[in-house]
Amino acid sequence: MAASGLLLGGFMLVHLAENLLLFKGEAAYNGWVDLLLSNPATPLLEIGLLFVFVAHIITGVWVRVEDFLNAPRGYEARKWQGGRTVGSATMLYTAAAILAYLVYHMLTFRFVDHSMGFYQMVTSAFRSPVFTAIYIAGSAALALHLSHGMQSAFQTLGLNHPKYTPLIKAGGLLVALAMTGFALISLYYLAGLDLKAAEAGAQMVVIN
Amino acid sequence: MKLDAQIPAGPIEKKWDSHKFNLKLVNPNNRRKYDILVIGSGLAGASAAASLGELGYNVKVFTMHDSPRRAHSIAAQGGINAAKNYPNDGDSVWRLFHDTVKGGDYRAREANVYRLAQISNQIIDHCAAIGVPFAREYGGLLSNRSFGGAQLSRTFYARGQTGQQLLLGAYSAMMRQVAAGSVTVYPRREMVDIVVKNGRARGITARNLVTGDLEAYSGHAVLLCTGGYANVFYLSTNAATCNVSAAWAAYKRGAGFANPCFTQIHPTCIPRSGEHQSKLTLMSESLRNDGRVWVPKARGDKRPPAEIPDEERDYFLERRYPAFGNLVPRDIASRAAKLEVDAGKGVGPNGQSVYLDFRDSIKRKGADKIKAEYGNLFDMYYQITDENGYKAPMRIYPAPHYTMGGLWVDYNLMTTVPGLFALGEANFSDHGANRLGASALMQGLADGFFIAPSTVAGYLGAHKFDPASTLDKEFADSARHIQERINRLLAVKGQKTPSELHRQLGNVMWNDVGMARNSDTLKKALKKIPEIREEFWKNVAVAGVDKDMNQTLEKALKVADFLEFAELFVRDALERKESCGGHFREESCTPEGEARRDDANYSHAAVWEYQGDGKEALLNKEPLSFENIKMAERSYK
Amino acid sequence: MTSSKNFSVTVRVWRQAGPQEPGKMVSYRVKDVSPDMSFLEMLDILNDELIRKGGSPIAFESDCREGICGCCGLVVNGDVHGPDEHSTVCQLHMRRFRDGDVITVEPWRVKAFPVLKDLVVDRSPLDRIIAAGGFISVNTGAAPDANAIPVDKARAEEAMDAAACIGCGACVASCPNGAAMLFTGAKISQLALLPQGAPERAERALNMVAAMDKQGFGNCTNEYECEAVCPKEVKVANIARMNREFLLANLFSKK
Repeated sequence: MAASGLLLGGFMLVHLAENLLLFKGEAAYNGWVDLLLSNPATPLLEIGLLFVFVAHIITGVWVRVEDFLNAPRGYEARKWQGGRTVGSATMLYTAAAILAYLVYHMLTFRFVDHSMGFYQMVTSAFRSPVFTAIYIAGSAALALHLSHGMQSAFQTLGLNHPKYTPLIKAGGLLVALAMTGFALISLYYLAGLDLKAAEAGAQMVVIN
Repeated sequence: MKLDAQIPAGPIEKKWDSHKFNLKLVNPNNRRKYDILVIGSGLAGASAAASLGELGYNVKVFTMHDSPRRAHSIAAQGGINAAKNYPNDGDSVWRLFHDTVKGGDYRAREANVYRLAQISNQIIDHCAAIGVPFAREYGGLLSNRSFGGAQLSRTFYARGQTGQQLLLGAYSAMMRQVAAGSVTVYPRREMVDIVVKNGRARGITARNLVTGDLEAYSGHAVLLCTGGYANVFYLSTNAATCNVSAAWAAYKRGAGFANPCFTQIHPTCIPRSGEHQSKLTLMSESLRNDGRVWVPKARGDKRPPAEIPDEERDYFLERRYPAFGNLVPRDIASRAAKLEVDAGKGVGPNGQSVYLDFRDSIKRKGADKIKAEYGNLFDMYYQITDENGYKAPMRIYPAPHYTMGGLWVDYNLMTTVPGLFALGEANFSDHGANRLGASALMQGLADGFFIAPSTVAGYLGAHKFDPASTLDKEFADSARHIQERINRLLAVKGQKTPSELHRQLGNVMWNDVGMARNSDTLKKALKKIPEIREEFWKNVAVAGVDKDMNQTLEKALKVADFLEFAELFVRDALERKESCGGHFREESCTPEGEARRDDANYSHAAVWEYQGDGKEALLNKEPLSFENIKMAERSYK
Repeated sequence: MTSSKNFSVTVRVWRQAGPQEPGKMVSYRVKDVSPDMSFLEMLDILNDELIRKGGSPIAFESDCREGICGCCGLVVNGDVHGPDEHSTVCQLHMRRFRDGDVITVEPWRVKAFPVLKDLVVDRSPLDRIIAAGGFISVNTGAAPDANAIPVDKARAEEAMDAAACIGCGACVASCPNGAAMLFTGAKISQLALLPQGAPERAERALNMVAAMDKQGFGNCTNEYECEAVCPKEVKVANIARMNREFLLANLFSKK
């Protein structure tokens, strides 16, 4: 679960970087997508990613079923002592939310007609408030999941060191925080800021 | 009772080696046929079980706890002595031997103590090898510190948890044998009787503390590693379940009980706060390195300590013992505190404590330094008393801590019942009338790891093998005898709980047979104890049934034994009209009030022999001769 | 010493007659509680009262009453080992409570530690984990001189930090998953940190983890509740070290 989690976390960072390309404009974004699609390795990477993802789910379910069976049960009163965080306590729920979101994500972006061009498809989706709301919820779940998941993966892999663990924990939180970037991008398009920027750009051209 | 100490002939340095050579061996292939019952899983028990298991015997270990790792050895804080001389300060086997005999006020058997000092070095080697995380210097080698009663550093330690670390080491060595199949641990079993057949120990009756069943276990040798009996005082630094019952059962089956009155009272304990108190907590005596002990000069001075100016304070240890000051041995520091309290100068809400003041050392070294050295002890003190030891002096008072007396054993650690051995605090052998700090851990491990494995083989090899069986009539007799006692207890249905009656006994023991004793107080105690015992059997309240987990019944059985044993304790104290070590008879002191031994009349171990219920025990004496050490007055002035 | 007046509390205690019996919470009023009493002394007083009335006293475990033997272990008002940080429940004092307080007292509710009676549970699975490899295989008498093997002081201190574990089971009781990894990790760490333990490192990690898994404990999901309640402040870095030892052993051991 830890190893697959780290790979998936890494993938999300790459994915975020891709999305940032949106800001470079239609040509840049579509160019990158075309490059990806024309690369013969891409389907293999996609299968690899699927494999990692399924592995993450299977190991996760396995661990959680065992935990469910063995968890202390029946305390009348129970107080957490500060080890638990919102992120760690909600891993199962954020996992479910992420999975649900992913299905939606696939249905809206992956298994659809791509003829209008990827840039148009993405930005027009972002202009829908419903889509953006779902998108924000998905990235929030992801951020929460990673807020625990990243450092937890290092710990599980045995990478704990008095010097580096604080850095790992901070880094994990930073990666989690970065996931809100997805939400910000969609908000940017929802608010039509790109159009305003384009307008401003056009005006500048006129002035010149 | 024949007391043959079996001390080997020859010069003292050679005795153990030549004895080991003369002892019979058991063929490795035959060892697994022998069942050895080890009662108790503290330092002595766990180490004996580990070593005997390694040798291939079939070992069964019984512990009353849920796990063998709980035994009270775990609470020892300070350290373990050894004559390694790593610090190059002039230590040697001979010096450790000498210090231990002197510290014990010349009431221990020379040959045993010499062997203990010899083995001390092997203990450190073995414990380091099995992973005990001893304190180390920056160069990676072992660190030593000094302890009371010695003028050099020979104490190895693991922070303030040396007992814990050594016990866990011995426990892990034993658990390795559990995995190997040679040791079986029987947790939550309390030994309630020794089974003797044809004059030899052949098994035990144990009570299963979960089901309440009486279970029979047969064996070819029985090793009692059941600790000391300081809880006869009710309040002591011992754990709640420490008891005399196993040793007492052995005594009733014919084992001699030696020097029962030799008790160590530890000076730096947290004083009691009220009637509800269930135990006393010890703070390491290392505190006396920097703390100064004092009381107000005026009787009944109720001012807060900070308002009492220096000239109105009596630093009584420094005044009475200028050479050693606050670092005099335990027995002497304890007695001095008692004298001040008895004179009405005690401090605290009930006037039953003296101050241990760090004001001057904080001024001299800084609070940070003091915190680094003793922080955990200050925290412990705060947790229990709600008082801040950095701001106001701590209050301390002595408390029973260790019992030097115990089952009499010969050089082989065998009691007067053949096949019945006693190891560790349960026996009487090595500490005489006073034990030096950091010597208890040494003795428990010496007995268990190194001595018993040789001497038990010597015993087994000297007898023809005959299969052990629990079908013998003696097992049924033992179970019936115990069941009757349990039934009697349950039938009383009185009004006082076992704890209340135990506290009553403890008050008598502490007030009349505590740090100072005289024939009047002892005779008073001898009158009061049977009264409490009578009340116990008429008025004890034991709830529940016997075939169940019944902690009240467990407690009642222990208190019943304490009530019998206490009388022997007092008789021994009355019989020994001299002062020595922890045994202080007010009639026998120097004009300055220090203890005075009477070597002409009392240079012996007093060994008591059971004569039957209601009959006075018979006193036997093992004379002690000192061929290698000159007897002298212990002076710390 | 505080001179505040004695007070009364109500304790709600888990009562269960035996391992197979159903249990329930039962309330008792305890009067004349002194703030200087320890929590367990308060239970002693309650028990004495119950015994005098011919009732059945509450079974609970404790022995040294100074936080080192590891016998005691109660959940007090939802706090494992009570509200004081990094201490055992025997070190808890009544000055932590006020007149009229209702105090809930429960046993460790861990699947691998069945209740034997009232507040007493069976922690023998922890001993079985140690038997699987929590030792260094050196026979008595075979050791070289203690100073023959120097040990880096910092590592020795770290080993001591791990070795401070008292085996009370609080880590399991507090873990949302009922994992025993802090306990197991502490012992594996102690022996892995010392050069004496090196020859058996790989085998020890494999065997102890296997034994742990067999006892019915949960898995570690790094919630760190164990570290937060551990009376001896054993750190979760020990769990990471166990994971490392286990991974490396799996990768490189020939077994």
